[in-house]
Amino acid sequence: MVLYVTAKTPDGKEIYKAEKIYMPIPQQFGWADKMGRGPYEKSGLLRDTSLPPLRTIIERFDIPLYKEEKKDGKLVRAPLAYEFDIDVELWYLPYGKKDDPGNAQMWNKFTKKVTLEKGGK
Amino acid sequence: MKYLKVVLILLFIAVPLVVFGAQAGAVKKAKTIDELAKMYDSTPCKECHAEIYVEWEKSLHARSMYGPLNTGRTGATFKTTIENGLKDWPHSGVKKPEDVGIEHLQLCTKCHLPQLEDAEESVAKEIVKNVYAFADQQDEKAAENLQKLNIGCTICHGRNAIIHKWTYGSPDPKAVYGTKDGEHADAKYPKMKKSPYMKASILCGQCHGMGPNFELKNPTQCATLYGSHLFAYIPEAGEAKPCQECHMKASKLGHNMQSYRSPEMAKLAVDFHVEAYAHQWRDVVTTTPQAQVTVELKNNAGHAIPDG
Repeated sequence: MVLYVTAKTPDGKEIYKAEKIYMPIPQQFGWADKMGRGPYEKSGLLRDTSLPPLRTIIERFDIPLYKEEKKDGKLVRAPLAYEFDIDVELWYLPYGKKDDPGNAQMWNKFTKKVTLEKGGK
Repeated sequence: MKYLKVVLILLFIAVPLVVFGAQAGAVKKAKTIDELAKMYDSTPCKECHAEIYVEWEKSLHARSMYGPLNTGRTGATFKTTIENGLKDWPHSGVKKPEDVGIEHLQLCTKCHLPQLEDAEESVAKEIVKNVYAFADQQDEKAAENLQKLNIGCTICHGRNAIIHKWTYGSPDPKAVYGTKDGEHADAKYPKMKKSPYMKASILCGQCHGMGPNFELKNPTQCATLYGSHLFAYIPEAGEAKPCQECHMKASKLGHNMQSYRSPEMAKLAVDFHVEAYAHQWRDVVTTTPQAQVTVELKNNAGHAIPDG
């Protein structure tokens, strides 16, 4: 499973991208430090980041919406825009890629426009 | 003395009868894919269990050697297993696809085609030939041949219906196993018998497994879900639900048992809640525009997601 988080400005420019992978990482032949790919070489686990049953996993993403620039000799963090499209998608990717018809499945999608207020101090 | 003579004569007659009778009763092994498919054919079940048959036809159990119709992923993985595994291992005895036998295919067929145990080596050769024809040339006939082999009715309701054979005896080849005893209106399977496992997770656990299959000469690990069900789900669950509860009942999919490709299962599996907002944080002199996204994921399944 992969959780994708992106933020875009109104012109479609991607300003933020993050992903989080949830999966048991199988071990090659039960001893190596390498991940096994096919069932024929998998035995054991190296690590397990899969979604555990009946537990809630909370992920937080802090997305910077600025660019740093000098103004009147001071460093300021100027907004990249005042509107942003936030997309969050949860995918089941047996081969680790979205472009995989018949295998890759999008399970959930969330979209929201967030805004920053103009002006003020 | 006369009595001893009679006993000896009777033994002389009885012993060959028992030996040859047992041989005659033994399952005749399939020589071809078609013969094996016929031995485990589910179509006769359709006559009385039409709705269940239609459900099953849509499931991956119905194409356990081929995989999803639009990908044939399982068939292709057989080739990968031979090319990247068996041919690469110095002690497998496989130098070319023609060397692959039942013992080698069992790395996968232990679960994808357990009835291969009831076939002769010629069937293994035919399977491998079809796997390569499908994977290399997208041969439609080969794809069709692979799709003749499946986890049909008589696997879960027959062959695999009894797990503890010293306790309950081996599966009766004349019986269909379900939730009750009785007669069954079918010439090949005239009896209906109760399997204690039919509504239990362990029935599925036979294949949707525990991790490495240690009984194999080269253990494979395809599914680990039953292990996860036992050791991750049960401790959290209180009153645990068996696999059948979600995959058949709550999903309303019945015998069309599905997993991650099914929107029904995806909806049941994970609660997905997201909050997103933007704000401008300030320290003494700097204003920082930023957004915060919080994602809550709750896995409601009786096992970790994904399998692996």
